Amino acid sequence: MQHGGSVMAPDRELATHYARELFGRRQESVRLWVVRRADIVDLADPDLLQPPLDRSFKKPGGYVMRDKLAAARELSGQAKPKARSR
Amino acid sequence: MRVAGPLATALGELLRSMADDEFVIGFSDSEWTGIAPLLEEDVAISSLAQDEIGHAAALYGLLGGLTGEDPDAIAYDRVPAAYRHCRLLDHGRGDWAMTIARRYLYDTADGVRLEALVAGSWPPLADLVGKLAREERYHRMHAAVWLDRLARGGDGTRSRLLAALATLGPDAATVFAPLPDEAALIDAGILSLPMADLEARWRASIAPAFATLDLPLPPSARDPARGRLDHGEPFSWLWREFNTVRAAEPGATW
Repeated sequence: MQHGGSVMAPDRELATHYARELFGRRQESVRLWVVRRADIVDLADPDLLQPPLDRSFKKPGGYVMRDKLAAARELSGQAKPKARSR
Repeated sequence: MRVAGPLATALGELLRSMADDEFVIGFSDSEWTGIAPLLEEDVAISSLAQDEIGHAAALYGLLGGLTGEDPDAIAYDRVPAAYRHCRLLDHGRGDWAMTIARRYLYDTADGVRLEALVAGSWPPLADLVGKLAREERYHRMHAAVWLDRLARGGDGTRSRLLAALATLGPDAATVFAPLPDEAALIDAGILSLPMADLEARWRASIAPAFATLDLPLPPSARDPARGRLDHGEPFSWLWREFNTVRAAEPGATW
């Protein structure tokens, strides 16, 4: 789900039609969610989204697998898989 | 199914009438590009107009396959009197209420016509109609939303819609003007019902919305046999408009 954009319309029916024309007429969408601006909850508080402490341990990139994999291969006697040729 | 002789002529007339309808309403609606009542509607009506030109191109393609003519030549190189669109589309663009009234009347009638063709026995047309119907459903939704808005609107909005319906209403049923030799199409299973029956079906389909909005139902068409003939000055003007580029350099490849 991705923000497609916004439309101005006098009611929800026309908003839906305009959303379809602006964001779907070139077959770039498979589904549209149309909501009133007033119904959008805006969460922009940096303390809730970008806290100051280090959070790198929550990202998968925090774990380096390369060395562990190499050791495991050596132990089992398996060669490193070759890049697949086309 | 092989189509030849009188049946081919009758089928050609049907294709020509449908293609010209889509071509003319497409060009009329494209006149809103840049000046529609609001920006979003500008995109919507322009896109819808493009849909109609696309439908016309597909129908002219089928007709060209039948007659051996170039579809572009059919679309552009006839004199105005040789076009077979219905008189409903001969009033010029008019204001937004005229456009919505025309779209509503035409789209609902076209929907009934497509329904009568989608299970037809000539596969090229039945297949195409199945695709057209999927796009036309959205056109009807768009027209219905706007008809509702205008009918319930104040400050001269409703009165403009009533004026538009008074102008267009008497020609609305010309979408169902009898075709030359439509009996041949029915015998061959290409068209499911005579145009007169389709008109009755269309009237029944729009009656609830017209009752809800307290709008006058279109009267019977005057001189239905000439419903696709006698195009007036507004069409001559449109014809010159849509022919400008092609006429600028006949035979040129653009």
